[in-house]
Amino acid sequence: MNYWKEFRKGIWERNPQLVVGLAFCPTLAVSTSVSNALWMTLAASFVLIWSNILISSVRKVVAKHLRIPIFITIIATFVTVVDLLLNAYRPDVYKSLGIFIPLIVVNCIILGRAEEFASKNGVLVSILDGLGMGIGFGLTLVVLAVAREILGANKLFGYTLIPGMKPAAAMIMAPGAFFALALMLWGMNAINARKKRK
Amino acid sequence: MIVKDIIKPTVVCTAVALACVYALSHVQKITGPEIIKRIKEKQDTALNLVLPGFTIGEKRETTIDGKEFIYWEAEKKEGIAATRAYAFLAKSPGYAGDVDSMVGVDEKGTILGISIISQTETPGLGARCVEVAGQETLWDILKGRTPHTGTGEQVPFFQEQFKGLTLNSKINILKLGDWTSDKRESLLEKNGISALTGATITTTAVVRGVESGMMRLNRALEESAKEQPGGAR
Amino acid sequence: MEIKVFVTILLSTIFINNYVLSRMLGLCPFLGVSRKLDSAIGMGLAVIFVMSLTSFITYPIYKHVLVPNGIPYLVTIVFILVIAALVQLVEMVIKKISPALYHALGIFLPLITTNCAVLGVAVLNITSGFAEPGASMGLLKSVVQGFGGGIGFTLALIIMAGIRERLEIADIPENLRGVPITFITAGLLALAFFGFSGMKI
Repeated sequence: MNYWKEFRKGIWERNPQLVVGLAFCPTLAVSTSVSNALWMTLAASFVLIWSNILISSVRKVVAKHLRIPIFITIIATFVTVVDLLLNAYRPDVYKSLGIFIPLIVVNCIILGRAEEFASKNGVLVSILDGLGMGIGFGLTLVVLAVAREILGANKLFGYTLIPGMKPAAAMIMAPGAFFALALMLWGMNAINARKKRK
Repeated sequence: MIVKDIIKPTVVCTAVALACVYALSHVQKITGPEIIKRIKEKQDTALNLVLPGFTIGEKRETTIDGKEFIYWEAEKKEGIAATRAYAFLAKSPGYAGDVDSMVGVDEKGTILGISIISQTETPGLGARCVEVAGQETLWDILKGRTPHTGTGEQVPFFQEQFKGLTLNSKINILKLGDWTSDKRESLLEKNGISALTGATITTTAVVRGVESGMMRLNRALEESAKEQPGGAR
Repeated sequence: MEIKVFVTILLSTIFINNYVLSRMLGLCPFLGVSRKLDSAIGMGLAVIFVMSLTSFITYPIYKHVLVPNGIPYLVTIVFILVIAALVQLVEMVIKKISPALYHALGIFLPLITTNCAVLGVAVLNITSGFAEPGASMGLLKSVVQGFGGGIGFTLALIIMAGIRERLEIADIPENLRGVPITFITAGLLALAFFGFSGMKI
């Protein structure tokens, strides 16, 4: 088992959004500001890593046909933990992420990794897989958020960039999110196509 | 057959769910009091912000039209004369969820101040309702200096413009760009506020919330006066 | 009066806050099932049905089971399990009652469990009020919101499927094919729907 490879794959070759095509909902909806994107990454990675740990450690006991309901229960538990922790210690973040915290449950990456990886592999390598996927997810999210916050709000990390300039508000709204992600996907396809030709 | 097909899976799933819920109840035990404490802290800060210098009385809860309504009575002593004022919680649906605000009014229905307690509006648009004017830019932060503070405008510009408006007539929503202190006079004359650029829904939500909150406050005060005929003034 | 509230909720969930194009919920099936118009209609109908039913069941569970017992924090875990069970149940019932309908909708039903629009509407029903300030949702309004959300999703899906069927024969740059061009189309659609956002009802 090549640990480094399992860790690395989520960041680029098997990037959850750009290559596999999962988890577009949180990516588009939460990338309105960089701080939102970072907190979402933390929350989703927390759930992803812990559910990977738990699922890979019980993988030999769980009957095949009971897999999915048990996985969902475990994931929902960790999501609730994140929900409670954020509500108690970072209420501002809790408010601005809103319904996208409970919706981490239906984030396809988490159930996808549980099903595809953690239920077949050991604990340590599952942690690395979760970590890599979490970083990959976060990377796409943050890049998108940086672009949208600069263009759509004339800000970065909540601070104004050029005083007095009117930003393009559409970038902050849904249309801008779609366009920006489409461009990212286009770029990713172009890079991969070029690599293939070489 | 039945044991294997129905009872066993049921028992296993139930056991997993029970274990999860048991674990969660412990997390809740730790975070629960913290959450309640934060909400109360936030409310108290907002109360002091909208009714500066007042002694705030007890929280009162009533139901108006089947909806919960929370308000406070407050008093300020100036020599022998005492000024009365009220604060209430206003709630209204904005663009992406409810916008909750604390509103302070005096007896004549003039707004002493509002403070938006919680909102989930879009960053850069509706969320600017809690933004502070004259904010330093990213470059200033990187360079380690903080200019723009000379103007003294470190107040949330959107909330600031509610100060002094009267709730006895409708609040007008005007589109004059971001509020600055030199617009105060002309806005007060028209009993209006300047809407947030590109976020009319949020602006309308806050205004309508404040207005309907005032209506409810009047109803609540009437009712409490009816209930204690001896205490009616 | 009440009728007006329902119309407001419907218009709001279908056009102004369209679940896909404005709230950005349910994008996975929106991308996955929008290739053919027929399957888009099938998926849309299944989602309308499941979203209405979910609203009908999750709202009372929250209001009459979780809140009175002081355990509203379990809402996520309870809702997702209820939705998963519900989808399974609906699948079984449809299979028994109407095999024809099962053939039309059957393959889409398992996909719906992980459709975030469904869990989204269940959570929105309990967190955000509509129409009047401070108004709580109430069962009927929740169901209307679920129904409207489903219709909004279907509308977006059908428009998208119609466009994508025509895009098939268009000459698109190679790297833009598939998901990227779909997102650009979705962005244009969202821009069009954005026009509803200032609408007063």
